[in-house]
Amino acid sequence: MSTAQLGKPVGKPLPFNDNRHLQAHQFLVDEAYLLDAQDYETWLDTITDDIRYLMPVRVTTALGSGFDTSPGMAHFDEDKYSLSRRVARFATEHAWTEDPPSRMRHYITNVRTFACDDDAHLVVESAELLFRSRGDVNEAALVSCGRHDVLRRCTDQWKLARRTIMVDESVLRMQNLAVFL
Amino acid sequence: MADHRGALDNVLGNVRGGMIPAHIYNDKEIFELEKERLFSRAWVFVAHESEIPQDGDYVVRRVLDDSFIITRDSKGDVRALFNMCLHRGMQVCRAEMGNASNFRCPYHGWTYRNDGRLTGLPFHREAYGGDDGFPRSSQTLLPAPNLGSYNGLIFINMDPSAQPLEDFLGDFRFYLDFYTKQSHGGLEVRGPQRWRIKANWKIGAENFAGDMYHTPHTHASIVEIGLFREPKAQKRKDGATYWAQCGGGTTYKLPPGDFEQRMRYVGYPDEMIDRIKRVWTPPQQQLVGEDGFMISAASCFPNLSFVHNWPKVLDSADGTDSPDDVRPFISIRLWQPISENETEVCSWFAVDSAAPPEYKKNSYKAYLMCFGSTGMFEQDDVENWVSLTNTAGGAMARRLLLNSRMGLLSDDSPVVDKLPSEAFHGPGYAQVGYNENNQRALLRLWADHVQMPPVSTATTALGTAATI
Repeated sequence: MSTAQLGKPVGKPLPFNDNRHLQAHQFLVDEAYLLDAQDYETWLDTITDDIRYLMPVRVTTALGSGFDTSPGMAHFDEDKYSLSRRVARFATEHAWTEDPPSRMRHYITNVRTFACDDDAHLVVESAELLFRSRGDVNEAALVSCGRHDVLRRCTDQWKLARRTIMVDESVLRMQNLAVFL
Repeated sequence: MADHRGALDNVLGNVRGGMIPAHIYNDKEIFELEKERLFSRAWVFVAHESEIPQDGDYVVRRVLDDSFIITRDSKGDVRALFNMCLHRGMQVCRAEMGNASNFRCPYHGWTYRNDGRLTGLPFHREAYGGDDGFPRSSQTLLPAPNLGSYNGLIFINMDPSAQPLEDFLGDFRFYLDFYTKQSHGGLEVRGPQRWRIKANWKIGAENFAGDMYHTPHTHASIVEIGLFREPKAQKRKDGATYWAQCGGGTTYKLPPGDFEQRMRYVGYPDEMIDRIKRVWTPPQQQLVGEDGFMISAASCFPNLSFVHNWPKVLDSADGTDSPDDVRPFISIRLWQPISENETEVCSWFAVDSAAPPEYKKNSYKAYLMCFGSTGMFEQDDVENWVSLTNTAGGAMARRLLLNSRMGLLSDDSPVVDKLPSEAFHGPGYAQVGYNENNQRALLRLWADHVQMPPVSTATTALGTAATI
């Protein structure tokens, strides 16, 4: 199921003092803390079982060509099973790429929340900058992206049901994406 | 200069003996030699024909610093055009991919057909006096000096007198077919994912060529989370490595069974096995069905690699493992050199074009979980290669010869005997168990190239009778 099919945004962005916007904003900021801390087990609990977590590969195309992602190819195209394997791997003692761990900061800004045609979902757009430093003197790496999320109202909390990450680079300047965005 | 040559001969002599001066993985002078002598005459992969299926489709790819437009022209022929306007040298195409009948230079409006012919030259008569000043009709964007393809894999060679691609590939084609020919329709590829790593390009090529030894340790986490059952150390060393002419690779030993059973074991559905049997030769089928070896990683000199693994991509409803949960995937990857310590990895997902949609979906999922920018195998590999490259840049690395002699005794006799042809039906040199035969073979080719004189090239002068 594509992001477009779930949670159809209605109207203008919610005012910044709307309670739904405040809740969505808090969800993203709380999530950023979990990702910075690499507390991925807790993070997994904040996503729905039917999650689709997508990060297309961006390509440079001529103006008017009608597409700017690589057809059929993504960096991430995940469901709960594949995300859970990634998280389980970090919990082993042999995920060398994060041992020693990176120092990370997920900066979240430009948050806009949209009500949906059903009360159970909110659409949230945000901009994200990830700073990642490994070792003592290796050059730090940045990833800049925009995110389009669908949050679902669950019993006592909002959960992430869809995420599309539009990275701003065609060629990534990070040695791998052993991170979440 | 003589000293210099002596030093280089010493480096190459050590490499040929399986003792690698560590600095070759981060040395500006070595990198300059590689550009001048190796990449100037090697067949370098640029694209697969399925990336440009329709007339007018194009992708833009580089060979080192040179940008080429790989197009399918309006007659359906594949071309590789140097992406530089004949007038002032602008890139005539600044997109990475698309569909175009013409490429128009944004600087002065010179226009080229998608077969390279110059068709538009504003004010040709007023500015040049027409064909008297600049004969327009015979001009084309510079074609790549040499172009070849095999099973849809498109290669460029910067040397116009290079040996033909098929001759260069030679016996390695036997193994290339496993990855690139699983039906008469051939592959379709997606991507590439592209990212830059602070590692020397040779390390990835060597690793994919033959490093079975790293798998159980580097990728221990993959086994622990149940993603791929094969790399356990005991199983991994039962595989064979092979080297055939310009490339080599690794295999896993499969459990007992015939060809169909073993293909099913790695996750191929019966309809794909039927198609595969129609295109793989009897010896290719015997390698799997009788010898029990299934291809995994491979490298083709200098910087093209392949991988074929069969992870568990489906979560059984009852939580138990089922053979049906396993799906194979194929990736093609290029280790594109940027500098002595930086590489752009280009990683394609590849799948047989005739495969059923459900298979393609799960094979793609298997690829994303294992390899590429987010792949769980790849993450740990790159961490190693960046660290190695960093360390190789210092003064101490010049005092250290890395031992790459695994599989050899001190008198150069093998630790394990070569497999006889009745136990390994593929061409080349094959043996079971951990060894560094293939890394040495790859670096021997590297040494031979680095020792060659530079390629002599001609200059093309456009639109003038003057000889340059």
